[in-house]
Amino acid sequence: MVTAGLALAGAAILVAGTVTIMVAIQRRPYQAEIAPTKGSPGQGVLYAFTLGMAPWAKESARRHWVAYLRGIVFHIIIFVGGLFLIASPWLTEFPSLLRVSLAALFALGAALTFAGFGMRLSDPALRRLSTPDDYFALALVTLFLASGAASAAQIEFLPAFWAISGITMAYVPFGKLRHFLYFFYERAFLGLVFGSRGVLKWKHE
Amino acid sequence: MNSPTKTKQNKLIIAKEMLGNLVDRRVLTALEVCVRCGICTESCHYYQSNPKIEHTPYYRAELVRRLYRRFFDPVGRVFPQWFGAGETTEDLLSKLAETAFSSCTLCQRCTLACPFGVETAEIMRITRSVATATGNAPDILVELANAAIAKEENAELFRDIYLDQIKDLEKEVQDILGSSKARIPVGEKGARMLYVPLAGAHTIVPQAVLFNIAQESWTLGMFEASNYAVFLADGVKAKHIAERITKEAEQVKAKEIIIAECGHAYTTMRWDVPKWRGSPLPFKVRSIIEVLDEYVREGRLHLDSAQNSQPTTYHDSCNLGRKGGIFEEPRRVIRAAASDYREMTPNRLHSYCCGGGSGLVAVEEWADIRLQAGKLKAEQIRQTGAKIVVTSCDNCRHQIKELSERHDLGIEVTSVSELAVKSLA
Amino acid sequence: MTLEIKSDQTINLEGLLCPIPVVKVSQAIKNMAVGGVLEATATDPGVLLDIPAWVKSTGNELLSIKKEDKLIRFFIKRTK
Repeated sequence: MVTAGLALAGAAILVAGTVTIMVAIQRRPYQAEIAPTKGSPGQGVLYAFTLGMAPWAKESARRHWVAYLRGIVFHIIIFVGGLFLIASPWLTEFPSLLRVSLAALFALGAALTFAGFGMRLSDPALRRLSTPDDYFALALVTLFLASGAASAAQIEFLPAFWAISGITMAYVPFGKLRHFLYFFYERAFLGLVFGSRGVLKWKHE
Repeated sequence: MNSPTKTKQNKLIIAKEMLGNLVDRRVLTALEVCVRCGICTESCHYYQSNPKIEHTPYYRAELVRRLYRRFFDPVGRVFPQWFGAGETTEDLLSKLAETAFSSCTLCQRCTLACPFGVETAEIMRITRSVATATGNAPDILVELANAAIAKEENAELFRDIYLDQIKDLEKEVQDILGSSKARIPVGEKGARMLYVPLAGAHTIVPQAVLFNIAQESWTLGMFEASNYAVFLADGVKAKHIAERITKEAEQVKAKEIIIAECGHAYTTMRWDVPKWRGSPLPFKVRSIIEVLDEYVREGRLHLDSAQNSQPTTYHDSCNLGRKGGIFEEPRRVIRAAASDYREMTPNRLHSYCCGGGSGLVAVEEWADIRLQAGKLKAEQIRQTGAKIVVTSCDNCRHQIKELSERHDLGIEVTSVSELAVKSLA
Repeated sequence: MTLEIKSDQTINLEGLLCPIPVVKVSQAIKNMAVGGVLEATATDPGVLLDIPAWVKSTGNELLSIKKEDKLIRFFIKRTK
């Protein structure tokens, strides 16, 4: 019961923090392109959120394909983890095959996020630039997925999952995890600016 | 009288205030979204030419990010170390200035490499603003911006010298065309196009030849297109310098402003000036390259590719290409003007900066840095086997010429307009 | 009468396109003592405007600027 309250409190902080950040973003000035367009801003945004994200569209993703793929996969797993958290009060009603599958998926996610420590520490440049915020966020997300895997497999771990979820959600607005929100803004800006200028489009001649 | 300590404190106050004011929605997003994953590392020509952490896009942006968090983030203000932020000192401001001016050409290649699309160039642009306001910008950029303003303030004084100069150039145009009717009109009211050159004959004579052949209704601008205040990210001066041109276009009642082959001048007039004014310009803005492409496609200009048989390649200016979507226009003209055209790899959207952009070619003390950063471009050129490198930006032209000398490329660097004149049928 | 002006340093800017002549002049002047005179030759006609404008904005003194056929010769005195 206490841990469920912790999860709910964390969720409330996450929602309140997200709204606060969105208000803060909106309060900042924004200058849209005013000049007559050379391309299409709408097409630019669509491209930015779809093909523009495809690994083959980026030389950097081809070069760092392990890191890029790792990033895509664990973010998808975190999203599934969020859905699992919402549905977790009804965990007993989950079919056992689903529970085993989710446990495996979250275990993979936890392994991938944990690998982030290795990637940060093994690369001299990343090690030098990584901050306590980076490691703390990585630890929280790893624990979130690990406890998710444990609770999907064994219902006794559910309170631990809720507690960790609560702490993780509460931290989101205060550290790097808030990038989840800025991601949507950044892709949209990229699409709007480069789309207007005819730079991002489905196909170049 | 201000004591040195007080001056230092004042600089820090100015830096904080400016940073707070300049962080708009795009910059805030660019500051907040980076997770320091390192995927952008090799996208930067600085890193490719000299791999070290200081040459990664995320390192540069991180310096500003930490300063911003220390000043404005609720957690960062109390626990700056949590975000890796150190002391804010005058030395840090100098380091930031040097990074923004000498270690980033705002080419935006890293933006496309980033999984999020972090606009590091936008972060560097506001850093340049802070550096300019705190007296940390390179002197020569300030001098060149001030000289442009001095030209306008003393327009009457300079007008006669300019007209004399143009008369001489008009004779050159007449000699090339073998016609005494060829003209370089200046300040001619009712002309359809106001062509805005740079301060050099190479951006006036070839274009005048081509306008005369195409029988264009045009007039030459009194002021040069380049705007060094843009490199300083000094909004007030940049607007002032740009307004010299828009005022003239209004005076002659031009329908279009045509910008010489200059990357930043095009971006400024085409995309930035409307934002500064808060409304679209009452005339169309195009690059001379777009005009030449139109002439070739419409048959107003007949080029003979047999006149240029040497292997030829094109370097995409970051401003015209990645920031302006002008990729195919120069290529169509060059293909019509040269028989052996070769592409560099990568090109267009993913073209590497030559290393001379964003005013860097004008800062002598950083010549070594930019020439080293251009090593990759030199290698790309060498791999094409081209003997002629065409580029549509004067900064790129200066840089590639110097790269040729340093790396013994044995190439000729020219503009689209000059190549077109050489290939006149 | 430019021939009468005595220079302390001479630089050759021939073949350089604007704004590089201004850049080189600015650097050369900074390395001279106040009162020193710099003589330069250039070929880009853009310097006929760029140099007087730069001199005006920096407060130095343009002693002479003359076009001798294709060559432009000018003298600048560092005043501060």
